[in-house]
Amino acid sequence: MTTLKIEQVSRTFPARHGNAPTKALEPTDLTIGNNDFVTILGPSGCGKSTLLRIVAGLDRPTSGRVTLDGREVTGPGADRGMVFQSYTLFPWLTVRENIAFGLRERGAPQAERHKVADAFIRQVGLSGFENHWPKQLSGGMQQRTAIARALANDPKILLLDEPFGALDNQTRALMQEMLLGIWERDQKTVLFVTHDIEEAIFLGSRVIVMSARPGRIKAEITVDLPHPRSYKIKTTPEFVRLKERLVEEIRTEALKVAEHA
Amino acid sequence: MRPLDPVTSKQRAAYGLAFFVLFVALWSWATFGGHVSKTFLANPLTMVQEGVELLTRQGFLFDIGMTIWRVVGGFALAAAIAVPLGVLMGAYKPVEAFLEPFVSFARYLPASAFIPLLILWAGIGELQKLLVIFIGSVFQIILMIAVTVGATRRDLVEAAYTLGASDRGIIRRVLLPSSAPEIAEILRLVLGWAWTYVIVAELIGSSSGIGHMITDSQALLNTGQIIFGIIVIGLIGLISDFLFKAFNAWLFPWKLA
Repeated sequence: MTTLKIEQVSRTFPARHGNAPTKALEPTDLTIGNNDFVTILGPSGCGKSTLLRIVAGLDRPTSGRVTLDGREVTGPGADRGMVFQSYTLFPWLTVRENIAFGLRERGAPQAERHKVADAFIRQVGLSGFENHWPKQLSGGMQQRTAIARALANDPKILLLDEPFGALDNQTRALMQEMLLGIWERDQKTVLFVTHDIEEAIFLGSRVIVMSARPGRIKAEITVDLPHPRSYKIKTTPEFVRLKERLVEEIRTEALKVAEHA
Repeated sequence: MRPLDPVTSKQRAAYGLAFFVLFVALWSWATFGGHVSKTFLANPLTMVQEGVELLTRQGFLFDIGMTIWRVVGGFALAAAIAVPLGVLMGAYKPVEAFLEPFVSFARYLPASAFIPLLILWAGIGELQKLLVIFIGSVFQIILMIAVTVGATRRDLVEAAYTLGASDRGIIRRVLLPSSAPEIAEILRLVLGWAWTYVIVAELIGSSSGIGHMITDSQALLNTGQIIFGIIVIGLIGLISDFLFKAFNAWLFPWKLA
């Protein structure tokens, strides 16, 4: 059983060049239960990525704490897998070696590394590309490899920071279905950050809406759409209703950001 | 011709060759045409004759061998010390803060200015020659590698951390492999510079090597031999550069993929 607890976590970036300190995140509480798929939705600059990076241990909160199964997060670790928006495959490793990176770091023997990596290569539909370099892959394929790389480590929670943000719409839709398929089949605790409303609803069991400047949780919406979900669900009345509601929430936030810009 | 318009590889070779043809033509015109005195500049034919004479009768191959050994020896010594130090500096900011000011200062000390001091310390033997190359290369390599390693993509380091990498794992499995092609490129570049230091080292207090031959020929006013020596240096540089490039391409296939 995995429980991620975010308690009163805030982040203020220190003053620079005479500017006032930037409050990126107001004290925030959020609990994510076992096999939850939580999406965090907000305009850019709302602190959603900051929150995710604090959970990953890549950034430190100014106040508050994050605990995973009761243990406080003090730095990055293999129990919290992360997929970044930028392409972060190691260019000097093949697809298979990239996916096996964490296993190798843990000292797993080569036979096991191969077996696990190949299983995940099949899951993300990259069979035949085991020995390709990242440079030879499209953006979508790179992100599929990155997801497989994070999953191969068997983390307690999977953190995704706008992983499909740089992909074209068609590829993005396919990637969403693939990720959701993996989640529906294998069950995993997932925290997914996005600014795409449809993506947040389609994937999430809960959508957390964040407001901008300073970042804080503005609303929480439970998505009661049945599983397994296919892309067809995006045109159902329930989906559209949720979308309308979230569009309103986000629009006011986006306007706030635009006024400040 | 339009800006940035590419050329075919055939055209490229033809243009490259054309330069040398033009160069030799101009040289021939100046020397055979009597526009420049023989004392100052030998004509191409004399140069070739002198070269054959050097290689067959005067044991110039031994001089070439000596020079190559000095460059490679001094350079290998410098690389063996500079690469680990540079990596440490790039990876650990306190080490960088400790060493960077000194290395930046030492980098600007001309290796040739050390020759009198090195002769005093190490005599005029091989050690002195190696030390000139060493001093000339070591600080350059350290600094350039430190910059390269320090500029490793931060998101790759973060990705490795979230995959459970330890600090040692970050150095061994991220910083080193990601900077390896750049490091090889830096070594190739500095090896080229080392060639200029070795000749200077051989001009002073030496009894063998290409530089020594050039000083000897100067005393005899044999410009043909001097020019032949210079051309040999250029050719060796070209060949070693080519080998280094080919080796790097073979070593880092992911760069080219």
